[in-house]
Amino acid sequence: MPNITLKHVNKSYDKNATNAVSDLNLEIGDGEFMCLLGPSGCGKTTTLRMIAGLENLTGGEIAVGDRVIDSIGKGVFVPPEQRGMGLVFQSYALWPHLTIEKNTDFGLRLRKVPKAEREERVNLVMKKLGIEQYRDRYPSQLSGGQQQRVALARMLAVNPEVLLLDEPLSNLDARLRLEMRTELKRIHGEFGTTIVFVTHDQWEAMTLATSIAVMHDGTLQQVGTPNDIYDRPANRFVAEFVGSPPINIIDQSPGNSRITDASRQYLKEYFPAISGADSLGLRPENIKLASQISDVPADHFAEEAFVAAILPTGGSWIIEVMVDDHKLFLTVNEPPQVSVGQQVWFHTSPAFMHLFDSDDQRLTAADDVIAEFCAAGESCAPSAAKAS
Amino acid sequence: MIKEQVSPEEVGRWMRLRYRLKIGWREPTAAIGLFLVLLFGYLIVVPIASLLFDSVQVQFGDVRRAKADLGELTWYYFDRALFSPVSKILFWEPLRHTLSVSFGAILVSLSVGGVLAWLLSRTDMFGRRWFATALIVPYMLPSWTFALAWRTLFKNRTVGGQAGWFENMGWTPPDWLAYGQLPITIILALHYTPFVILLFGNALRRFDSQLEDSARILGAGPRTVAWQIILPLMLPALMSATVLIFAKCLGEFGVSYVLGLPVNYDVLATSLYRSIASRQTGVAAVLAGAIMLIGIVSLLIDARLVRESRKFVTVGGKGSMNRQTALGKFRMPATALAGLIFFLSVGLPLMTLLLSTIMQVPGQFALSNFTLDYWIGSNLETVGLSSGILLSSELWSAMWNTLRIVGFASICSGIMGILVGYVVVRSPIKGVSIFLRQVTFFPYLVPGIAFAAAYLSLFAVERGPIPALYGTAAILILALMADQMPYASRAGISAMMQLGKDPEEAAQVAGAGWFRRMVTIVIPIQKGALVAGVLLPFISGIRGLSLFVILAIPSTDVLTTFSLRLLDYNYTQAANAVVLMISAIAYFGTLAAQRLTKTNLADGLGG
Repeated sequence: MPNITLKHVNKSYDKNATNAVSDLNLEIGDGEFMCLLGPSGCGKTTTLRMIAGLENLTGGEIAVGDRVIDSIGKGVFVPPEQRGMGLVFQSYALWPHLTIEKNTDFGLRLRKVPKAEREERVNLVMKKLGIEQYRDRYPSQLSGGQQQRVALARMLAVNPEVLLLDEPLSNLDARLRLEMRTELKRIHGEFGTTIVFVTHDQWEAMTLATSIAVMHDGTLQQVGTPNDIYDRPANRFVAEFVGSPPINIIDQSPGNSRITDASRQYLKEYFPAISGADSLGLRPENIKLASQISDVPADHFAEEAFVAAILPTGGSWIIEVMVDDHKLFLTVNEPPQVSVGQQVWFHTSPAFMHLFDSDDQRLTAADDVIAEFCAAGESCAPSAAKAS
Repeated sequence: MIKEQVSPEEVGRWMRLRYRLKIGWREPTAAIGLFLVLLFGYLIVVPIASLLFDSVQVQFGDVRRAKADLGELTWYYFDRALFSPVSKILFWEPLRHTLSVSFGAILVSLSVGGVLAWLLSRTDMFGRRWFATALIVPYMLPSWTFALAWRTLFKNRTVGGQAGWFENMGWTPPDWLAYGQLPITIILALHYTPFVILLFGNALRRFDSQLEDSARILGAGPRTVAWQIILPLMLPALMSATVLIFAKCLGEFGVSYVLGLPVNYDVLATSLYRSIASRQTGVAAVLAGAIMLIGIVSLLIDARLVRESRKFVTVGGKGSMNRQTALGKFRMPATALAGLIFFLSVGLPLMTLLLSTIMQVPGQFALSNFTLDYWIGSNLETVGLSSGILLSSELWSAMWNTLRIVGFASICSGIMGILVGYVVVRSPIKGVSIFLRQVTFFPYLVPGIAFAAAYLSLFAVERGPIPALYGTAAILILALMADQMPYASRAGISAMMQLGKDPEEAAQVAGAGWFRRMVTIVIPIQKGALVAGVLLPFISGIRGLSLFVILAIPSTDVLTTFSLRLLDYNYTQAANAVVLMISAIAYFGTLAAQRLTKTNLADGLGG
């Protein structure tokens, strides 16, 4: 299947209301596993439903390859039943009056597939998803996880070139969710289907997607691979939305607090070429602790703090430190060598600094400056930071 | 990401419209919506408008009295109904009677029903499950069943025909006991007590015992808890029951007709009936308008109260608990009380009616006095029917009419209900769904008798392409259908809401067109709702009286009007037998509907 292209897509439900989706431009490549990620109400489900044709546009155009399927300007609207896509609903939307087999069979029947072929296809899909033993049951007799598989099987049976998934895992418990995630990844590999997946769960997006589109308030924030999104967030929203515990933001307006002044001082000293930084983001796992300033690599940004709390999470620990009133979270994977109330030095390599301007956009110029600096020195390498 | 210069502003208004039309007319939903809007506009809005016009336009035959030409605007009817010397008989007395009967009935049913609701939902009274169903039975029966039973027992020489039981036993009940305000009040109270039990009982069951416990822990005694916690929270349910009973009493025709007529005790509904019967169309329109207005105002108040009470519902947390009070030594007396109420409201009236149909001389319990002649006898030497009621051809023609007319209307309203539900939930045009939702609910605000008057006003004469429908079964079917729409459309809308869009959209994405989706997905899933949407209107239509009494003529007699006419001729046994049959159909029909839809009457309460 060719690419799906969204051009200047707008959607508002009410004339006076703010747009549910505004000026969205997105290209979904063939065979891609694209995640639409964002908090609830950001327009991601609306986008998915517009691709499916269940929601009309208020502006813009959707095309599959060269074929426009939805456009106000061209007066084109291909109804959902003719788009040949698959959609798995958050509620699964299994037909309660049909057995599992009939549910799976429905689309094939509509396409007038011969009986023998139909049976073969249904058997194959049910087998792949491990639901063949339930074929004569009704949806209400199945557990949530099983229903979810049926919903998937129903769509996979017709072998759609595009599979749209609307938060399909959100109604499952944690264990099942993990299982289904692996399953989805396997299906994606096996069937080669283009998948558009809507979720508000960043872990789901990170683990599944080949690329992620982060949305907020109806606008697209950033599109990229999971690593892109995490390591080079395009703006403060993306930086703060992705990552748990969330990224630490240090305001850069002068005179705000000790940590502000210290970080401003540090940037000015080491990176005089950078200007216009309004805030500084530090991911929790990139911050290290040292009991003495002498243990801190010379070119690291460091400041004295005290340990306010240590929260074990099983395999790792979240440590909360305070610089006066400013709270910072950091995570470590080994048992922490500090105790609550202790005075410590936190420090971080400039390689992990995210700088944002006054519009909350990433200062990409700063990235280049820092990368140059780090290429010259040794201590800013990730391994050096880890050593402490 | 793509950069291309097609800003949304460049797309013209015309293109936008074309796109919208393309989507809107792609599916029949919009066309069906439009059809329904026109249909219900004509069946509900137009008759009522026509009725209201009647009240300010000079009617046929009134040209001289109104001192204006036919069809001209006039205040004559308002003046006559509200301010003239006869206004006292036409409007003010009936209004006073309606109010006093309603409030009396409300007072009695609230106190009796309130106690019973509490006993049923919050205590360890014996046989609670059985009583929970048994005490609702009066509501399933036509209210004037009780009126007939009362008349059978207490009738005196004020009215001709067969004597009452007490009179035959040697005691003549006085008029005030036999007819008029007292019996009407008692009967309406008994009939609407189930209403209170259902509404109040539901509220009590939902009430979280932890709210009481919290007050207790803070040091409140039982009395403080009752007055400061329970009562305020129960108030909306109580008020709601009050208003609903009032609205129902307002349109109540049968009871007042059977028991009020002998002593000229008119309520608004019977006064309206008299005006129509004596062809005073204009005055009837004013009266019907007044009934409508009072009905609408009271139900608007109720809607407001329900909204208020919803505020409370959300307060309840997860761990809702319902604790029972041990009655201790009052356990037996409480059970006896419930038993007594059941006996008075179900056992006694039905027994009386049944016995009256198999006794030759009323009130004599000698074995030789019993006969089945009134049911299956032939060549009887009575002045009334010469054969038993089951052998009378009139009964069977009335029965056939009932099944035909009510059955057809119910099937129509059931289908319309689902269609309205579908359009309301799916329509791409918001205005259509709002209009349909409101217009189909409107007949609920209008007491049946006023609605019938509206139909009479519209369809009595030929108007445009529509011929005069008075005297045909069609007018009854149309009126019944419109009258049942509130229940049918409410059932349809809630069923479609519950279904949600997803199953249909899933079929759509899978490739199914509109018709296919209807046949393979929507209708099979909504089968239950469809059956309920047909059956419930059928039951309430079968025992309905007020619509028929105005719109039916002897050739379109249904069971209810047939029994009423038998009563007018004083063929008491026959009338009672027919009412028993109606009761049986209504009762078993309700049970069947409950079983089929696996619901309780408490949910579908209304008809």
